[in-house]
Amino acid sequence: MKEAELLILGSGPAGLAAAIEATRAGARVAVLDENARPGGQIYRQLNSGFSVTDPDVLGHDYERGQELLAEFGSIANRVEYLDDALVWDISPDRELAFLRREESKSLGYRTLIIAVGAYDRPVPFPGWTLPGVFTAGGGQRLVKTQQVLPGERILLAGTGPLQLAVANQITDAGGKVEAIVEAGNIDSWMSLARGAWGQWTLIADAWRYWSGIRKAGIPLWREHIIVEARGDGRVEEAVVARVDENWRPVPGTQRTLAVDAVCVGYGFVPSVELTRLAGCEHRYEPRLGGWVPTRGDNMETSVPNIYAAGDCAGVAGSWVAIEEGRIAGLAAARALGYLSVEDAARRMQPSRERLAGLLRLRQALDEISVPRPGLYELATDDTIVCRCEELTLGELKAALAEDVADLNEVKRITRVGMGNCQGRMCGPALLEILARHRGISPADITYLSPRPPIRPVPMAAVAAHRGVAQA
Amino acid sequence: MGSRRVEKGVRRGRAFEIEVDGRKIIAHEGETIGSALLAAGVRTLRHTVKRNHPRGIYCGIGLCYECAMIINGVPNTRACQTLATPGCRVETQEGLGRLEGER
Repeated sequence: MKEAELLILGSGPAGLAAAIEATRAGARVAVLDENARPGGQIYRQLNSGFSVTDPDVLGHDYERGQELLAEFGSIANRVEYLDDALVWDISPDRELAFLRREESKSLGYRTLIIAVGAYDRPVPFPGWTLPGVFTAGGGQRLVKTQQVLPGERILLAGTGPLQLAVANQITDAGGKVEAIVEAGNIDSWMSLARGAWGQWTLIADAWRYWSGIRKAGIPLWREHIIVEARGDGRVEEAVVARVDENWRPVPGTQRTLAVDAVCVGYGFVPSVELTRLAGCEHRYEPRLGGWVPTRGDNMETSVPNIYAAGDCAGVAGSWVAIEEGRIAGLAAARALGYLSVEDAARRMQPSRERLAGLLRLRQALDEISVPRPGLYELATDDTIVCRCEELTLGELKAALAEDVADLNEVKRITRVGMGNCQGRMCGPALLEILARHRGISPADITYLSPRPPIRPVPMAAVAAHRGVAQA
Repeated sequence: MGSRRVEKGVRRGRAFEIEVDGRKIIAHEGETIGSALLAAGVRTLRHTVKRNHPRGIYCGIGLCYECAMIINGVPNTRACQTLATPGCRVETQEGLGRLEGER
């Protein structure tokens, strides 16, 4: 089997930065990404076929992404880049199984950097499975890189700055945002401004988003939440309500909006299936999005030769991800003997300084976006909580034993998390729902254990994989 | 009605036809099947196994598998990740779907 000296999983901000630094230091790098082109979600490039005539339409993240992608482009001839690679297993003997162009492949590694990002936090509420309810990130991808508006009258519901960005992108594209519903309160927005002090580019972005919303006349309702999406086979209306500081709807404040699309964004959840499968130690850290791998200063996990960088190790956004990626890339190059300890430390220094500067902003962002308890009380007994297995909250509660504290036990009894998404969509909510049901902390609950294949792959691919074939 | 293509700041690739449940719709080079369907006003991409509920694009980044359709005869193919190609055949997936030729 082929062995990569340094294997990087993911080519978003963290993966790209890691590849750039490690390659410059002299390491031989291979990068795997499940998409057709590098960039990840935030720097996602347009598919071939599209051509950009006005970069402003794609936003400033796109421009920043172009800089990092150009930097990657300058070293790309020294990197082995495998696109369309769906990783479905990491075995303890440093071997990775993936599907590429419908073929089963495997690759060994000496050093591994996991930089697979995060995804929109899925939150069950009545009507959330109706066609026309999108995640905020999904809606943004449609507008930004597919240039299709998700609807004619769009509601943005959730929390945090992504909503403001998406509202502007939709408006710039000629679409109509009915309203923005922000669960957080004004105090949080003020602390965001304080936290961002010194991060002038970010403040400029925020100001542009803010004035864009005012100019378009989009109502922004603070301390409001979406409680239901309704319609016959598709979204036709959305019910919103004012919330208290715990994000619990205030009785008598409901109003109904006629909309045909809802984009819901309650921050992000780190993708930890691969770090968990690799046996890295994790801890529950609500401010970082949930379960995250524990790491040292060099982004090293508890497993030797495995690093984790960017949002998959704690949601903090693309700016932090780039710096973490650089540090991980340099640390890996150092571990492989390409840099002296001193040289590595010197090259890491600018990134460490930028990370320290971003820390305050990150703390302020957390204050807004960490979900409050009311968020996970929106589902009613007939709300689907597991989309794949179509399990309702009522069915789930009926199946919960009094002393259960392990989601894998719940999975065995109810099949939650056994479907195509492998618990990515239901897991984060199940954790919070079970914690409330039991009156214990989510930290005391055993999270769903990923089992290979962690992505749906043809049986033939599993059979072709060495380990399975021998069994 | 509903969704539509943005024509500002970006030029789309060439247009061609794809077949959806026997009906022809227009797609452009670079568009996913999910986007082409959305632009054509189609949101329901499958019906679920147990409750026959309609589902459409949700996460939009290939993780949730809610947009699973039968594409060129292969069920459980993600419409949000699969690029439209001239003449490709797409079917709304009922339940688990079935492979071409399977009864």
